[in-house]
Amino acid sequence: MRLLNSRIIRFIVGIWLPILLIWWWWTWSADSVDPFFPPLSAIWEQFKFNWIWQYVPIHVVPSLRNLFAGYFIGIFAGVTLGALLGASPRVSRYFEPVIDFLRSIPPVATVPVFILFFGLDAQMRIAAVAVAACFPTLLSTMQGFRATDPTLLDTGKVFRLTPFQMMWKVRVPNASPIIWSGLQVSLQIAFVVTIASEILGSGFGIGAFTTISIDSFMILDAWTGVVLLGLLGFALNIIFDLVERWSLRWYIGQKKLAS
Amino acid sequence: MATAISVNGVSMEYKTPKGTTHVLDNVSYEVQDGHFVSIVGPSGVGKTTLLRLLTGLARPTAGEILVRGKKISSSPDDLAVVLQDYTRSLMPWLNVEKNIALPLKNQNLSKAERKERIKASLAEVGLEGAESKYPWQLSGGMQQRVSIARALAVRPSILVMDEPFASVDAQTRFDLEDLVLKVRDDFGITTLMVTHDIDEAVYLSDEIVVLHGKPAKVRDVVKVDIPFPRSQMETRNDQRFAELRTQVYGMVRGLE
Repeated sequence: MRLLNSRIIRFIVGIWLPILLIWWWWTWSADSVDPFFPPLSAIWEQFKFNWIWQYVPIHVVPSLRNLFAGYFIGIFAGVTLGALLGASPRVSRYFEPVIDFLRSIPPVATVPVFILFFGLDAQMRIAAVAVAACFPTLLSTMQGFRATDPTLLDTGKVFRLTPFQMMWKVRVPNASPIIWSGLQVSLQIAFVVTIASEILGSGFGIGAFTTISIDSFMILDAWTGVVLLGLLGFALNIIFDLVERWSLRWYIGQKKLAS
Repeated sequence: MATAISVNGVSMEYKTPKGTTHVLDNVSYEVQDGHFVSIVGPSGVGKTTLLRLLTGLARPTAGEILVRGKKISSSPDDLAVVLQDYTRSLMPWLNVEKNIALPLKNQNLSKAERKERIKASLAEVGLEGAESKYPWQLSGGMQQRVSIARALAVRPSILVMDEPFASVDAQTRFDLEDLVLKVRDDFGITTLMVTHDIDEAVYLSDEIVVLHGKPAKVRDVVKVDIPFPRSQMETRNDQRFAELRTQVYGMVRGLE
């Protein structure tokens, strides 16, 4: 059992299926003459040509900039609003129907609305990402704040903590395991909306590149865009996991001890 | 001797959908400086309510509470608290050092002074070198020691404890009781403790306040005339100890 739990074993267990699938794709597509399903080897050659590093400045940089700008604005707003609403259940009851309505709209569908307000600039894309990223974080923060243990708040009060300390040293850390799960969903949605927002009226960004490639029958280029998006999304998730684990090490350690 | 805390005609009512619950009725009591006072009573009598009033977490519907002659409206500066449930009163995301440091941040201390205070408080409770441990890595008794260290680090003149040893095993309980007596001796701290354990109240206290009734009133105040220093072995076998515990038990049960 201890052997299975070790990191190396877990890595080996995790890696063999992706390797198998890539190998299978590689050999299965090797002799393909279908223009829509080119050989993986050809995709890989084109990938190296496009993304190391020729198109990175004009396509990857704008996408990541919109993603991060929108994401951080969105989660900042989400945590702030969620904290305010979660700390006062009476106020949140007034806002809940509106929030429930807004979050039910598929975020991608809101992009045309943002075009009406912001035109086709980067601001439009960032705004669309920010609004989409806000809701999961907002909801999880509200939920986390509502679950605050009264003993913890009493402790803060009897030790005369300032409202700022109450917020950042007691309430936010206490809610942070739940907030982090919202942050993760927000990141995934932000990624989707970033790419989707580039499909309309843009010449720059990975989403724009992929769409334009398909529209102009550059199928190989389109495939490289799809592969790049997959790799980027995967990398973002790994980085997110590392940051989350570091930030919640107290929570993970506590749970490990309890089990 | 000066008065540390005076409780003057305090009543407490809670409004619930079913009507008004009258918890405390005209409770008056004075705690002298440097004394160790326990509040006992049957469960549900309103001990915890009284403690919430004393620590400024709630306000009485009538009457007033003075700490060193000043009427309290929020948690008084001069008072530190140890709660029963250490797992929920210590912050699990902060290590021992940061837990103790948190209330110190608002006192004008230099970084070095703060470190020194934390070290001294941990030494006082016998947890030298535990600074970098997280509370959940410690046993229950050790966590409660950290709570006590956190309270001592703010250098209060009054220590208020809510059933501080109710969640630890019997052996640890004895150790912590003796620790609390040592702290009282070392700092001359006025200590007020809510407990349901009559033996513990007799062992630790100068005076025991017995609450009884619904709504609760001060049933009686028992002076514990067993000399200090006390010891678990001898004091608990003392003739006087047995008499006092029988007397207090009778009062709590409403037999006397």
